[in-house]
Amino acid sequence: MPRWISDEPGEEAALLEYLGIPSVDALFADVPKKARIGRIGIAAGLEEPDVVAHIDKILDRNRPLSKFSSFLGGRISTRYSPAAVDSILSRSEFFTSYTPYQAEASQGMLRALFEFQSLWVELTGLDVANASLYDGATASGEALLLCRRIHEGKKFLLPASLPWEEKSVLANYASGAGLTLEEVPFDPRTGRLELDAVRQALGGHDVFGLLADLPNGFGHVDEGLWDLKGILGDVPLVVSADPLALTVLEPPGSFGADVVVGEGQGFGIPPSFGGPLLGLFACRKEHLRSAPGRIVGATVDSEGRPAFALTLQTREQHIRRSRATSNICTNQSLIALAFVVYASLVGPRGLANLQTSIAEKARTLASALGSVEGIHSPRFDSPYLGEFTIELKHGTADGFLDRLRRRKVLGGIPLADPRPGTPVGPARILVAATDATTDRDIQKYVKGARTAMASVGGDR
Amino acid sequence: MTFRQARWDEPNVWDLIPDAPEAPPPAVPGIPERLRRREAVRWPELSELEVVRHYTRLSQMNFGIDTSSYALGSCTMKYNPKVSELLARRKGAAELHPGQPEATVQGALEIFWRLEKILTKVTGLPEVSLQPAAGAHGEYAALLMVRAYFRDKGLLGQRSEVLLPDTAHGTNPASAAMAGFTTREIPSKDGCVDLAALRAAVNDRTACFMLTNPNTAGLFESDILEITETVHAAGGMLYYDGANLNAIMGITTPGRMGFDVAHLNLHKTFATPHGGGGPGAGVLAAGERLAPYLPIPRIVKTGRKFHLDYDRPKSIGKIKTAYGNFGLDLRAYAFAISHGEEGLRHVSRRAVLNSNYLGKKLGAYLPRPFRTLVKHEFVLSGAPLKERGVRTLDLAKRLLDEGVHAPTIYFPSLVEESLMIELPETESKWALDEFAAAFERAVHDTPENLHAAPRNLSVSRIDEVRAARMPLLSWKDLRAATAKVETPSTVPSST
Repeated sequence: MPRWISDEPGEEAALLEYLGIPSVDALFADVPKKARIGRIGIAAGLEEPDVVAHIDKILDRNRPLSKFSSFLGGRISTRYSPAAVDSILSRSEFFTSYTPYQAEASQGMLRALFEFQSLWVELTGLDVANASLYDGATASGEALLLCRRIHEGKKFLLPASLPWEEKSVLANYASGAGLTLEEVPFDPRTGRLELDAVRQALGGHDVFGLLADLPNGFGHVDEGLWDLKGILGDVPLVVSADPLALTVLEPPGSFGADVVVGEGQGFGIPPSFGGPLLGLFACRKEHLRSAPGRIVGATVDSEGRPAFALTLQTREQHIRRSRATSNICTNQSLIALAFVVYASLVGPRGLANLQTSIAEKARTLASALGSVEGIHSPRFDSPYLGEFTIELKHGTADGFLDRLRRRKVLGGIPLADPRPGTPVGPARILVAATDATTDRDIQKYVKGARTAMASVGGDR
Repeated sequence: MTFRQARWDEPNVWDLIPDAPEAPPPAVPGIPERLRRREAVRWPELSELEVVRHYTRLSQMNFGIDTSSYALGSCTMKYNPKVSELLARRKGAAELHPGQPEATVQGALEIFWRLEKILTKVTGLPEVSLQPAAGAHGEYAALLMVRAYFRDKGLLGQRSEVLLPDTAHGTNPASAAMAGFTTREIPSKDGCVDLAALRAAVNDRTACFMLTNPNTAGLFESDILEITETVHAAGGMLYYDGANLNAIMGITTPGRMGFDVAHLNLHKTFATPHGGGGPGAGVLAAGERLAPYLPIPRIVKTGRKFHLDYDRPKSIGKIKTAYGNFGLDLRAYAFAISHGEEGLRHVSRRAVLNSNYLGKKLGAYLPRPFRTLVKHEFVLSGAPLKERGVRTLDLAKRLLDEGVHAPTIYFPSLVEESLMIELPETESKWALDEFAAAFERAVHDTPENLHAAPRNLSVSRIDEVRAARMPLLSWKDLRAATAKVETPSTVPSST
């Protein structure tokens, strides 16, 4: 058994003696006999070397990204993170600390979270940010609920191109509140939101908000977003934005967004098979008291020195209970710390240069794939940064990707909804260039894609 | 007093931003001019050493388990084993994208699968999902499952009420409200559920009763079998809030007590780090009636291969991106297999022993409002301090000066000036005695000293009222406030 519990000779006996009881069993006398169990029914404990060997053996059955030329992206990024980020996260005063309710004992984390909020405010062009939510998808869900608190209506609009799992998360947030989602179709050529469809949906006067993602589910930058607020009027606009994209694009707050959410994992944290992630959330000052989650504020101590504390807690579950703005308690503080440390290490110029260089690779990749017989690349005629969508003119996305995998290429993420019974749409794949993408990776992809498409052609 | 926290006058990051805006970022090929950012992101350009030194200094102005014991009740602040940190950073764990084909992530799926199997045993419930990011997230998902169940039975309109005791964690009523239920609190009697009040409250509108056992007063609900029977007889479901699971492993299970669905917090019982407030990792465990509603995908094993199964037509769908907080789940798995059968039972027994020992010691200084046989935590009332003009808040701040983290305060709210105290199994007798000695010094200190606490931290008592009254929530707010106010000494600015 591990040495995580103190076991000095006589220690337990001394504790029992002080309590005047013969055995620990006496402390469970209040558990009814009928409620007790005999055994848990799991294996005996292991010593540390055996734990490491056992888990390493299981992890060996994974094939990490470094074994492949990877073009995986979507909301989860594989971007390199400087070693200094993990070095700071490994300061155990940060990672073993609790929520900073005792502000005086937690100035380090509070200050870092204040810096994190400041950075997300800066990137989004909005007024206030919270100290994080679980991930981008749940941040979108919380944004939906905020919209309902600040605007009447029953219907929430979202792009039909939104990734299926985010639609599913949003459907859960909506259903609890008795609200409904309505998908706005996209232009089949550009993938852009059909603005006429937005206008039409607004005609019923039952819409309390709209969410659009930047880049969208196809990886493209939808220019229509810049005109959306003019169409929506006082109906709130939520933009779900990639933070790296915001280092080169106009901040959504400047083109009318009322809430900006996003997934922040790509700033400092490895993908870790999808968790932990980081939910980003910012809104306008007038909606502050409707906002979810913890917020850090600046104040002073009794001697007038600058200090930081969690604030506006009357919005939160531990005070307001069933009338709280959200049920969230545990959030993603440590990942928020990673976000601001990463951005500070790379620096604002470095981030913009990184996005630019990835965008250049994506253009090379998109046109190279477009030269392959049977692949429509990029599928949509719209601007893009690091990602874009391809469409196979024949064969399935899974079959194509499987053939590529055998050549050590992870060719992208199929956009189809994997749930049985959902319609099989066109074979579309979201393809991402990354900071690690080399010309050789691109050549490998193109070569593999040619072979795959040729053999799919042969299958027909 | 021997404790002194570091006190660095760190420059604010935003004071390092040059006044003149930087040139706009470079043009990205293919992006139209009107979509481009016109001003560079206003954030300082720093060297790696400057960044590392800044955040290292900030870390020195922060408590953590590695430096201080944390007496926070219901938070289970136990030691976070280093081996888990090592394993979570392996390439084969960190460098995996959830979009990878199943064949390339068999190990990750196996970790999920194995941890789920262990947790079915620990909860006594047949199916487990690791998708929730945290405890409250699991509560919310569980209530969506309850809702879906009653919808399928055609009872959604009718079964609209969630009952909970007045000692419930705040997340319980908040999650119930988000899932579309109305909530009703059942008053407690002597710190436990009043069975007569519960019997009077359940009816055909009851969807669910949410309970943590042991409860937030640290008491085991000895009427638990009658409680679950009462709610089931009325056609309702039982929800187990696993925040306090650290008291019962190997003793009883939510399944054995009669619960239909449960959440656990792996960042409490299974020792994954709290990270200054997160990330956590939640667990959803369900009995047979609710299991079909668990979030997709489910991890299944066919032969020797692991798969993600999306074919669950009754599932509530997804509650977050990807599957769960894998990095944390891996840490929890390492904790669980290190302890094993005997170890996990020992965890709970020692946690309960620690709590009873410390409860008896501290009971000499402040009254204990309920019975003294407690589980993993106990409650004291700071009410007698009021005679000296001292509040529980002052006592908490004074404890920080001793280098130990204060208890949870003003919760549960049915106890006046309450302190909820939990020092889990990883704290030695020596650490418990140190805490008790610190507590004694604090409680007997003069009102002047108590009001003036803390003195030994990086800052003195913080004006939280001002923070709420005049929200300054980013560097932009601070700059604007500094520009507005005339007397710089009253303004929060860098020193």
